[in-house]
Amino acid sequence: MERHFFKELENLKMTILNMAALTQRALESATTAYLERDEQLGQTVIDGDKKINALELEVDQYTLKLLALEQPMAKDLRMILGTAKISNELERIADQAVNISERTQFLSKYPPLNSIPAMEQLIDVSLSMYKKAVSCFVNEDVKAAYEVRKMDDRADQYTLEVLQTLVEYMVKNTPATERRRLNTRRSIQTIIISRCLERVCDLSTNIGEHVAFITQGINIKHQGIDAEL
Amino acid sequence: MEKPNKIVAKHLDFFYGDFKALEDISVEFKKNKISALIGPSGCGKSTFLRCLNRMNDLIPGSAVKGEVYIDGEDIYGQNIDVVHLRRRVGMVFQKPNPFPKTIFDNVAYGLRVNGIKDRKIVAKRVEKSLRQAVLWDEVKDRLHSSALGLSGGQQQRLCIARALSVEPEVILMDEPASALDPIATQKIEDLIHELKKDFTIIIVTHNMQQAARVSDITAFFYMGRLVETGDTETMFTRPQLQQTEDYITGRFG
Ligand SMILES: Nc1ncnc2c1ncn2[C@@H]1O[C@H](COP(=O)(O)OP(=O)(O)O)[C@@H](O)[C@H]1O
Ligand SMILES: [Mg+2]
Repeated sequence: MERHFFKELENLKMTILNMAALTQRALESATTAYLERDEQLGQTVIDGDKKINALELEVDQYTLKLLALEQPMAKDLRMILGTAKISNELERIADQAVNISERTQFLSKYPPLNSIPAMEQLIDVSLSMYKKAVSCFVNEDVKAAYEVRKMDDRADQYTLEVLQTLVEYMVKNTPATERRRLNTRRSIQTIIISRCLERVCDLSTNIGEHVAFITQGINIKHQGIDAEL
Repeated sequence: MEKPNKIVAKHLDFFYGDFKALEDISVEFKKNKISALIGPSGCGKSTFLRCLNRMNDLIPGSAVKGEVYIDGEDIYGQNIDVVHLRRRVGMVFQKPNPFPKTIFDNVAYGLRVNGIKDRKIVAKRVEKSLRQAVLWDEVKDRLHSSALGLSGGQQQRLCIARALSVEPEVILMDEPASALDPIATQKIEDLIHELKKDFTIIIVTHNMQQAARVSDITAFFYMGRLVETGDTETMFTRPQLQQTEDYITGRFG
Protein backbone atom coordinates (compact mmCIF):
# COMPACT_ATOMS: atom_id res chain seq x y z
CA MET A 1 0.00 0.00 0.00
CA GLU A 2 1.36 3.40 -0.94
CA ARG A 3 1.97 5.65 1.99
CA HIS A 4 -0.48 8.46 2.38
CA PHE A 5 2.38 10.91 2.78
CA PHE A 6 3.78 10.12 -0.68
CA LYS A 7 0.43 11.01 -2.21
CA GLU A 8 0.53 14.27 -0.29
CA LEU A 9 3.99 15.02 -1.68
CA GLU A 10 2.75 14.25 -5.18
CA ASN A 11 -0.17 16.63 -4.62
CA LEU A 12 2.18 19.34 -3.49
CA LYS A 13 4.29 18.88 -6.58
CA MET A 14 1.19 19.03 -8.79
CA THR A 15 0.10 22.27 -7.16
CA ILE A 16 3.49 23.81 -7.91
CA LEU A 17 3.31 22.63 -11.51
CA ASN A 18 -0.14 24.11 -11.82
CA MET A 19 1.18 27.40 -10.48
CA ALA A 20 4.15 27.22 -12.83
CA ALA A 21 1.88 26.70 -15.83
CA LEU A 22 -0.29 29.68 -14.92
CA THR A 23 2.78 31.80 -14.33
CA GLN A 24 4.23 30.78 -17.68
CA ARG A 25 1.02 31.76 -19.40
CA ALA A 26 1.05 35.13 -17.59
CA LEU A 27 4.62 35.78 -18.66
CA GLU A 28 3.99 34.81 -22.27
CA SER A 29 0.81 36.86 -22.46
CA ALA A 30 2.44 39.88 -20.84
CA THR A 31 5.36 39.90 -23.26
CA THR A 32 3.13 39.25 -26.28
CA ALA A 33 0.80 42.01 -25.15
CA TYR A 34 3.76 44.34 -24.89
CA LEU A 35 5.13 43.44 -28.32
CA GLU A 36 1.74 43.52 -30.04
CA ARG A 37 0.41 46.45 -28.01
CA ASP A 38 -2.59 44.37 -27.01
CA GLU A 39 -4.33 45.99 -24.03
CA GLN A 40 -6.92 43.25 -23.76
CA LEU A 41 -4.39 40.48 -23.51
CA GLY A 42 -2.53 42.53 -20.87
CA GLN A 43 -5.76 42.79 -18.91
CA THR A 44 -6.11 39.00 -18.78
CA VAL A 45 -2.72 38.85 -17.07
CA ILE A 46 -3.77 41.42 -14.49
CA ASP A 47 -7.04 39.58 -13.85
CA GLY A 48 -5.41 36.17 -13.71
CA ASP A 49 -2.97 37.07 -10.94
CA LYS A 50 -5.48 36.41 -8.16
CA LYS A 51 -5.46 32.72 -8.96
CA ILE A 52 -1.67 32.56 -8.64
CA ASN A 53 -1.73 34.45 -5.35
CA ALA A 54 -4.32 32.00 -4.05
CA LEU A 55 -2.17 29.05 -5.07
CA GLU A 56 0.81 30.50 -3.25
CA LEU A 57 -1.25 30.68 -0.05
CA GLU A 58 -2.41 27.13 -0.64
CA VAL A 59 1.18 25.92 -0.97
CA ASP A 60 2.15 27.80 2.21
CA GLN A 61 -0.60 26.11 4.17
CA TYR A 62 0.07 22.74 2.65
CA THR A 63 3.79 22.78 3.37
CA LEU A 64 3.18 23.94 6.93
CA LYS A 65 0.75 21.10 7.43
CA LEU A 66 3.11 18.50 6.01
CA LEU A 67 5.99 19.75 8.17
CA ALA A 68 3.88 19.66 11.31
CA LEU A 69 2.04 16.42 10.75
CA GLU A 70 4.43 14.24 8.80
CA GLN A 71 7.78 15.29 10.22
CA PRO A 72 9.51 14.61 6.92
CA MET A 73 13.18 13.73 6.72
CA ALA A 74 16.02 14.02 4.23
CA LYS A 75 14.86 14.59 0.66
CA ASP A 76 11.19 14.78 1.63
CA LEU A 77 12.05 17.57 4.03
CA ARG A 78 14.09 19.37 1.41
CA MET A 79 11.31 18.94 -1.14
CA ILE A 80 8.79 20.58 1.16
CA LEU A 81 11.05 23.49 2.10
CA GLY A 82 12.13 23.87 -1.53
CA THR A 83 8.60 23.92 -2.96
CA ALA A 84 7.58 26.56 -0.44
CA LYS A 85 10.40 28.73 -1.74
CA ILE A 86 9.70 27.96 -5.39
CA SER A 87 6.05 28.89 -5.03
CA ASN A 88 7.21 32.19 -3.59
CA GLU A 89 9.45 32.81 -6.62
CA LEU A 90 6.61 31.90 -8.99
CA GLU A 91 4.29 34.34 -7.31
CA ARG A 92 6.86 37.09 -7.70
CA ILE A 93 7.44 36.23 -11.35
CA ALA A 94 3.69 36.49 -11.93
CA ASP A 95 3.78 39.91 -10.23
CA GLN A 96 6.39 40.99 -12.75
CA ALA A 97 4.07 39.85 -15.54
CA VAL A 98 1.35 42.03 -14.02
CA ASN A 99 3.72 44.96 -13.81
CA ILE A 100 4.70 44.52 -17.46
CA SER A 101 1.03 44.41 -18.42
CA GLU A 102 0.30 47.63 -16.54
CA ARG A 103 3.09 49.42 -18.44
CA THR A 104 1.67 47.92 -21.63
CA GLN A 105 -1.75 49.45 -20.90
CA PHE A 106 -0.09 52.86 -20.94
CA LEU A 107 2.22 52.26 -23.91
CA SER A 108 -0.52 50.84 -26.11
CA LYS A 109 -2.39 54.14 -25.98
CA TYR A 110 0.41 55.96 -27.81
CA PRO A 111 2.30 55.37 -31.01
CA PRO A 112 5.04 52.77 -30.66
CA LEU A 113 8.66 53.60 -30.02
CA ASN A 114 11.16 52.31 -32.56
CA SER A 115 11.77 48.65 -31.98
CA ILE A 116 14.65 47.89 -29.59
CA PRO A 117 16.48 44.67 -30.54
CA ALA A 118 17.88 44.17 -27.04
CA MET A 119 14.34 44.22 -25.66
CA GLU A 120 13.27 41.39 -27.89
CA GLN A 121 16.35 39.43 -26.96
CA LEU A 122 15.65 40.08 -23.29
CA ILE A 123 12.11 38.75 -23.69
CA ASP A 124 13.48 35.64 -25.38
CA VAL A 125 16.07 34.94 -22.72
CA SER A 126 13.60 35.58 -19.89
CA LEU A 127 11.14 33.10 -21.28
CA SER A 128 13.84 30.50 -21.89
CA MET A 129 15.30 30.93 -18.43
CA TYR A 130 11.90 30.59 -16.86
CA LYS A 131 11.01 27.47 -18.81
CA LYS A 132 14.37 25.90 -18.11
CA ALA A 133 14.01 26.63 -14.40
CA VAL A 134 10.63 24.92 -14.32
CA SER A 135 11.85 21.92 -16.28
CA CYS A 136 14.77 21.69 -13.92
CA PHE A 137 12.23 21.26 -11.09
CA VAL A 138 10.12 18.77 -13.05
CA ASN A 139 13.10 16.61 -13.98
CA GLU A 140 15.13 17.27 -10.82
CA ASP A 141 17.92 18.28 -13.16
CA VAL A 142 20.63 20.18 -11.31
CA LYS A 143 22.68 20.65 -14.47
CA ALA A 144 19.89 22.75 -15.87
CA ALA A 145 20.03 24.90 -12.74
CA TYR A 146 23.60 25.83 -13.54
CA GLU A 147 22.62 26.58 -17.13
CA VAL A 148 19.88 28.95 -15.97
CA ARG A 149 22.43 30.78 -13.84
CA LYS A 150 24.75 31.16 -16.76
CA MET A 151 22.02 32.67 -18.94
CA ASP A 152 21.49 35.36 -16.35
CA ASP A 153 24.59 37.22 -17.55
CA ARG A 154 23.00 37.67 -20.94
CA ALA A 155 19.81 38.94 -19.37
CA ASP A 156 21.77 41.58 -17.48
CA GLN A 157 23.55 42.60 -20.66
CA TYR A 158 20.32 43.04 -22.64
CA THR A 159 18.76 45.01 -19.81
CA LEU A 160 21.69 47.37 -19.88
CA GLU A 161 21.42 47.75 -23.64
CA VAL A 162 17.73 48.65 -23.40
CA LEU A 163 18.58 51.29 -20.85
CA GLN A 164 21.40 52.73 -22.93
CA THR A 165 19.29 52.81 -26.10
CA LEU A 166 16.45 54.64 -24.42
CA VAL A 167 18.59 57.11 -22.51
CA GLU A 168 20.24 57.97 -25.80
CA TYR A 169 16.82 58.40 -27.37
CA MET A 170 15.49 60.59 -24.57
CA VAL A 171 18.50 62.85 -24.63
CA LYS A 172 18.93 63.29 -28.38
CA ASN A 173 15.83 62.82 -30.43
CA THR A 174 13.17 65.24 -29.32
CA PRO A 175 13.32 69.00 -29.52
CA ALA A 176 9.69 70.01 -28.83
CA THR A 177 8.66 70.12 -25.19
CA GLU A 178 5.35 68.24 -25.35
CA ARG A 179 6.86 65.57 -27.47
CA ARG A 180 9.82 65.24 -25.18
CA ARG A 181 7.60 64.63 -22.20
CA LEU A 182 5.74 61.86 -23.96
CA ASN A 183 8.92 60.29 -25.27
CA THR A 184 10.41 60.33 -21.81
CA ARG A 185 7.33 58.76 -20.30
CA ARG A 186 7.20 56.01 -22.90
CA SER A 187 10.88 55.36 -22.53
CA ILE A 188 10.73 55.11 -18.77
CA GLN A 189 7.79 52.72 -18.91
CA THR A 190 9.75 50.60 -21.34
CA ILE A 191 12.81 50.67 -19.11
CA ILE A 192 10.62 49.50 -16.24
CA ILE A 193 9.48 46.60 -18.38
CA SER A 194 13.08 45.64 -19.03
CA ARG A 195 13.72 45.74 -15.27
CA CYS A 196 10.74 43.47 -14.70
CA LEU A 197 12.13 40.98 -17.18
CA GLU A 198 15.51 41.16 -15.55
CA ARG A 199 13.82 40.31 -12.22
CA VAL A 200 12.09 37.36 -13.88
CA CYS A 201 15.52 36.09 -14.84
CA ASP A 202 16.85 36.50 -11.29
CA LEU A 203 13.83 34.72 -9.83
CA SER A 204 14.19 31.90 -12.37
CA THR A 205 17.79 31.55 -11.29
CA ASN A 206 16.56 31.23 -7.71
CA ILE A 207 14.20 28.44 -8.72
CA GLY A 208 17.16 26.55 -10.14
CA GLU A 209 19.02 27.05 -6.89
CA HIS A 210 16.10 25.65 -4.89
CA VAL A 211 16.07 22.60 -7.14
CA ALA A 212 19.76 22.01 -6.40
CA PHE A 213 18.88 22.13 -2.71
CA ILE A 214 15.96 19.75 -3.12
CA THR A 215 17.75 17.14 -5.17
CA GLN A 216 21.20 17.19 -3.60
CA GLY A 217 20.96 19.15 -0.39
CA ILE A 218 23.56 21.57 -1.69
CA ASN A 219 23.51 25.33 -1.70
CA ILE A 220 24.76 26.83 -4.97
CA LYS A 221 23.55 30.32 -4.18
CA HIS A 222 26.74 32.13 -3.50
CA GLN A 223 29.15 30.11 -5.56
CA GLY A 224 30.94 31.70 -8.50
CA ILE A 225 28.93 31.74 -11.68
CA ASP A 226 31.27 29.22 -13.29
CA ALA A 227 30.90 26.64 -10.53
CA GLU A 228 29.87 23.27 -11.88
CA LEU A 229 28.65 20.03 -10.41
CA MET B 1 36.59 21.62 19.40
CA GLU B 2 36.58 17.98 18.34
CA LYS B 3 35.77 15.71 21.28
CA PRO B 4 37.99 12.67 21.88
CA ASN B 5 36.70 9.17 21.15
CA LYS B 6 35.25 7.36 24.14
CA ILE B 7 34.40 4.08 22.48
CA VAL B 8 35.86 2.67 19.29
CA ALA B 9 34.77 -0.60 17.67
CA LYS B 10 37.04 -2.14 15.07
CA HIS B 11 35.97 -4.86 12.65
CA LEU B 12 33.54 -6.28 15.13
CA ASP B 13 31.70 -9.50 14.25
CA PHE B 14 29.19 -11.15 16.52
CA PHE B 15 27.73 -14.65 16.33
CA TYR B 16 24.77 -16.33 17.98
CA GLY B 17 25.98 -19.88 17.33
CA ASP B 18 26.27 -20.07 13.54
CA PHE B 19 24.25 -16.94 12.96
CA LYS B 20 26.36 -13.88 12.26
CA ALA B 21 24.36 -11.07 13.81
CA LEU B 22 27.01 -8.36 13.31
CA GLU B 23 29.51 -8.09 10.52
CA ASP B 24 32.62 -5.95 10.39
CA ILE B 25 31.36 -3.03 12.45
CA SER B 26 33.85 -0.19 12.77
CA VAL B 27 32.60 2.95 14.46
CA GLU B 28 33.68 5.65 16.90
CA PHE B 29 31.65 7.27 19.67
CA LYS B 30 32.76 10.64 20.97
CA LYS B 31 33.00 11.53 24.62
CA ASN B 32 30.09 13.55 26.02
CA LYS B 33 28.07 13.11 22.89
CA ILE B 34 24.78 11.35 22.38
CA SER B 35 24.93 8.75 19.67
CA ALA B 36 21.81 7.06 18.32
CA LEU B 37 21.69 3.66 16.68
CA ILE B 38 18.81 3.30 14.23
CA GLY B 39 17.71 0.63 11.80
CA PRO B 40 14.88 -1.81 11.20
CA SER B 41 14.11 -4.28 13.92
CA GLY B 42 16.42 -7.29 13.91
CA CYS B 43 19.31 -5.40 12.29
CA GLY B 44 21.54 -5.89 15.33
CA LYS B 45 21.27 -2.64 17.27
CA SER B 46 20.70 -4.28 20.65
CA THR B 47 23.30 -6.93 19.95
CA PHE B 48 25.83 -4.24 19.14
CA LEU B 49 24.91 -2.21 22.21
CA ARG B 50 25.40 -5.24 24.44
CA CYS B 51 28.84 -5.81 22.92
CA LEU B 52 29.90 -2.49 24.41
CA ASN B 53 29.70 -3.72 28.00
CA ARG B 54 30.00 -7.42 27.28
CA MET B 55 26.45 -8.22 28.27
CA ASN B 56 26.44 -10.73 25.41
CA ASP B 57 29.04 -12.82 27.24
CA LEU B 58 26.14 -14.28 29.17
CA ILE B 59 24.54 -15.76 26.04
CA PRO B 60 25.57 -19.39 25.53
CA GLY B 61 27.07 -20.16 22.13
CA SER B 62 27.80 -16.57 21.32
CA ALA B 63 31.15 -15.38 20.03
CA VAL B 64 32.82 -12.04 19.34
CA LYS B 65 35.53 -11.21 16.84
CA GLY B 66 37.25 -7.88 16.48
CA GLU B 67 37.91 -5.22 19.08
CA VAL B 68 36.09 -2.68 21.22
CA TYR B 69 38.15 0.03 22.90
CA ILE B 70 37.07 2.25 25.73
CA ASP B 71 39.49 5.09 26.30
CA GLY B 72 41.92 3.13 24.17
CA GLU B 73 41.70 -0.09 26.18
CA ASP B 74 40.38 -3.24 24.49
CA ILE B 75 37.47 -4.44 26.62
CA TYR B 76 37.76 -7.94 25.15
CA GLY B 77 41.43 -8.01 26.17
CA GLN B 78 43.01 -10.39 28.66
CA ASN B 79 43.05 -8.45 31.90
CA ILE B 80 39.62 -6.95 31.79
CA ASP B 81 37.49 -7.16 34.93
CA VAL B 82 33.99 -7.48 33.50
CA VAL B 83 32.26 -6.35 36.69
CA HIS B 84 34.35 -3.21 36.70
CA LEU B 85 33.64 -2.72 32.98
CA ARG B 86 29.89 -2.86 33.54
CA ARG B 87 30.23 -0.30 36.28
CA ARG B 88 31.94 2.04 33.83
CA VAL B 89 29.42 1.26 31.12
CA GLY B 90 25.92 1.25 32.57
CA MET B 91 22.77 0.13 30.86
CA VAL B 92 19.08 1.07 30.77
CA PHE B 93 16.58 -1.25 29.16
CA GLN B 94 13.41 -0.92 27.15
CA LYS B 95 11.00 -1.89 29.89
CA PRO B 96 11.51 -0.18 33.23
CA ASN B 97 12.66 -3.00 35.49
CA PRO B 98 12.83 -1.72 39.07
CA PHE B 99 13.33 -4.31 41.79
CA PRO B 100 10.36 -4.96 44.08
CA LYS B 101 12.03 -2.88 46.74
CA THR B 102 11.82 0.68 47.98
CA ILE B 103 12.78 3.60 45.76
CA PHE B 104 15.82 4.20 47.95
CA ASP B 105 16.97 0.59 47.86
CA ASN B 106 16.64 0.43 44.09
CA VAL B 107 19.18 3.19 43.70
CA ALA B 108 21.35 2.03 46.61
CA TYR B 109 21.48 -1.49 45.24
CA GLY B 110 24.32 -0.92 42.78
CA LEU B 111 26.34 0.86 45.44
CA ARG B 112 25.97 -1.98 47.91
CA VAL B 113 26.89 -4.52 45.26
CA ASN B 114 30.00 -2.49 44.66
CA GLY B 115 30.89 -2.63 48.34
CA ILE B 116 29.86 0.88 49.33
CA LYS B 117 28.22 0.39 52.71
CA ASP B 118 28.70 3.69 54.58
CA ARG B 119 25.13 4.86 55.12
CA LYS B 120 25.91 8.54 54.80
CA ILE B 121 27.73 8.05 51.53
CA VAL B 122 24.99 5.80 50.23
CA ALA B 123 22.29 8.35 51.14
CA LYS B 124 24.26 11.10 49.45
CA ARG B 125 24.79 9.12 46.29
CA VAL B 126 21.14 8.08 46.16
CA GLU B 127 20.06 11.70 46.36
CA LYS B 128 22.60 12.79 43.77
CA SER B 129 21.53 10.08 41.34
CA LEU B 130 17.85 10.81 41.79
CA ARG B 131 18.56 14.48 41.18
CA GLN B 132 20.57 13.70 38.06
CA ALA B 133 17.68 11.59 36.84
CA VAL B 134 15.35 14.54 37.56
CA LEU B 135 13.24 12.36 39.82
CA TRP B 136 14.22 13.68 43.25
CA ASP B 137 11.47 16.26 43.63
CA GLU B 138 8.84 13.69 42.78
CA VAL B 139 10.00 11.01 45.20
CA LYS B 140 11.91 12.71 48.03
CA ASP B 141 8.94 12.34 50.39
CA ARG B 142 8.42 8.67 49.71
CA LEU B 143 11.89 7.23 49.33
CA HIS B 144 10.94 4.26 51.43
CA SER B 145 7.80 3.25 49.60
CA SER B 146 7.82 0.64 46.88
CA ALA B 147 9.29 1.51 43.51
CA LEU B 148 6.48 -0.44 41.90
CA GLY B 149 4.05 2.30 42.95
CA LEU B 150 5.70 4.75 40.56
CA SER B 151 4.36 5.52 37.10
CA GLY B 152 6.07 3.93 34.10
CA GLY B 153 7.96 7.11 33.28
CA GLN B 154 9.07 7.52 36.90
CA GLN B 155 10.16 3.89 37.02
CA GLN B 156 12.29 4.42 33.94
CA ARG B 157 13.91 7.49 35.46
CA LEU B 158 14.47 5.43 38.60
CA CYS B 159 16.27 2.83 36.51
CA ILE B 160 18.37 5.62 35.04
CA ALA B 161 19.14 6.84 38.59
CA ARG B 162 20.11 3.29 39.49
CA ALA B 163 22.46 3.17 36.51
CA LEU B 164 23.93 6.55 37.46
CA SER B 165 24.49 5.69 41.12
CA VAL B 166 27.74 3.82 40.46
CA GLU B 167 29.04 6.83 38.53
CA PRO B 168 29.50 5.24 35.12
CA GLU B 169 31.25 6.96 32.24
CA VAL B 170 29.06 5.59 29.49
CA ILE B 171 25.35 4.88 29.54
CA LEU B 172 23.82 2.50 27.04
CA MET B 173 20.08 2.83 26.54
CA ASP B 174 18.07 0.29 24.61
CA GLU B 175 14.81 1.89 23.48
CA PRO B 176 14.43 3.54 26.88
CA ALA B 177 11.19 5.32 26.04
CA SER B 178 9.41 2.81 23.87
CA ALA B 179 7.09 1.68 26.68
CA LEU B 180 6.27 5.25 27.76
CA ASP B 181 3.58 7.77 26.88
CA PRO B 182 4.54 10.97 25.03
CA ILE B 183 4.95 13.14 28.13
CA ALA B 184 7.07 10.59 29.96
CA THR B 185 9.01 10.13 26.73
CA GLN B 186 9.69 13.83 26.51
CA LYS B 187 10.97 13.84 30.08
CA ILE B 188 13.36 11.02 29.27
CA GLU B 189 14.56 12.86 26.18
CA ASP B 190 15.13 16.08 28.12
CA LEU B 191 16.94 14.04 30.74
CA ILE B 192 19.20 12.50 28.10
CA HIS B 193 20.17 15.99 26.96
CA GLU B 194 20.96 16.93 30.56
CA LEU B 195 23.09 13.85 31.14
CA LYS B 196 25.27 14.56 28.16
CA LYS B 197 27.51 16.93 30.01
CA ASP B 198 28.59 14.23 32.46
CA PHE B 199 28.27 11.04 30.42
CA THR B 200 28.76 9.54 27.01
CA ILE B 201 25.42 8.19 25.87
CA ILE B 202 24.56 5.62 23.24
CA ILE B 203 20.90 5.07 22.63
CA VAL B 204 19.08 2.53 20.50
CA THR B 205 15.76 3.73 19.23
CA HIS B 206 13.33 2.54 16.61
CA ASN B 207 11.80 6.01 16.62
CA MET B 208 13.59 8.07 14.02
CA GLN B 209 12.18 11.36 15.21
CA GLN B 210 13.52 10.53 18.64
CA ALA B 211 16.98 9.85 17.24
CA ALA B 212 16.77 13.16 15.37
CA ARG B 213 15.68 15.01 18.51
CA VAL B 214 18.12 13.63 21.05
CA SER B 215 21.31 12.63 19.32
CA ASP B 216 24.41 14.39 18.04
CA ILE B 217 25.55 11.45 15.98
CA THR B 218 23.45 8.83 14.24
CA ALA B 219 24.52 5.40 13.06
CA PHE B 220 22.30 3.47 10.67
CA PHE B 221 22.44 -0.33 10.88
CA TYR B 222 20.97 -2.73 8.38
CA MET B 223 21.16 -6.53 8.42
CA GLY B 224 24.03 -6.68 10.85
CA ARG B 225 26.10 -4.03 9.10
CA LEU B 226 26.77 -0.39 9.77
CA VAL B 227 25.58 1.37 6.62
CA GLU B 228 26.26 5.00 7.38
CA THR B 229 27.15 7.17 10.31
CA GLY B 230 27.47 10.90 10.62
CA ASP B 231 26.33 13.91 12.55
CA THR B 232 22.60 13.71 13.10
CA GLU B 233 21.75 16.88 11.24
CA THR B 234 23.44 15.63 8.08
CA MET B 235 22.00 12.12 8.43
CA PHE B 236 18.46 13.46 8.58
CA THR B 237 18.72 16.27 6.06
CA ARG B 238 21.09 14.90 3.42
CA PRO B 239 22.37 11.39 4.06
CA GLN B 240 25.11 10.24 1.71
CA LEU B 241 23.78 6.81 0.80
CA GLN B 242 20.55 5.92 -0.93
CA GLN B 243 19.93 3.07 1.52
CA THR B 244 19.98 5.50 4.44
CA GLU B 245 17.78 7.95 2.56
CA ASP B 246 15.26 5.19 1.82
CA TYR B 247 15.11 4.07 5.42
CA ILE B 248 14.89 7.55 6.87
CA THR B 249 12.12 8.60 4.50
CA GLY B 250 10.16 5.37 4.97
CA ARG B 251 10.74 4.00 1.46
CA PHE B 252 12.24 0.73 2.58
CA GLY B 253 11.87 -2.55 0.74
N1 LIG C 1 19.83 -14.44 22.14
C1 LIG C 1 19.75 -14.58 20.80
N2 LIG C 1 19.96 -15.76 20.22
C2 LIG C 1 19.91 -15.93 18.88
N3 LIG C 1 19.67 -14.93 18.01
C3 LIG C 1 19.44 -13.71 18.54
C4 LIG C 1 19.48 -13.47 19.95
N4 LIG C 1 19.24 -12.16 20.16
C5 LIG C 1 19.06 -11.62 18.93
N5 LIG C 1 19.19 -12.54 17.96
C6 LIG C 1 19.08 -12.30 16.51
O1 LIG C 1 20.09 -11.38 16.12
C7 LIG C 1 19.59 -10.44 15.19
C8 LIG C 1 19.76 -9.03 15.75
O2 LIG C 1 18.91 -8.87 16.87
P1 LIG C 1 18.88 -7.55 17.76
O3 LIG C 1 20.26 -7.16 18.07
O4 LIG C 1 17.95 -7.78 18.88
O5 LIG C 1 18.26 -6.52 16.70
P2 LIG C 1 17.59 -5.09 16.97
O6 LIG C 1 17.93 -4.66 18.34
O7 LIG C 1 18.18 -4.22 15.92
O8 LIG C 1 16.12 -5.26 16.76
C9 LIG C 1 18.14 -10.82 14.94
O9 LIG C 1 18.10 -11.61 13.78
C10 LIG C 1 17.78 -11.63 16.15
O10 LIG C 1 16.79 -12.59 15.83
MG1 LIG D 1 16.60 -4.23 19.96
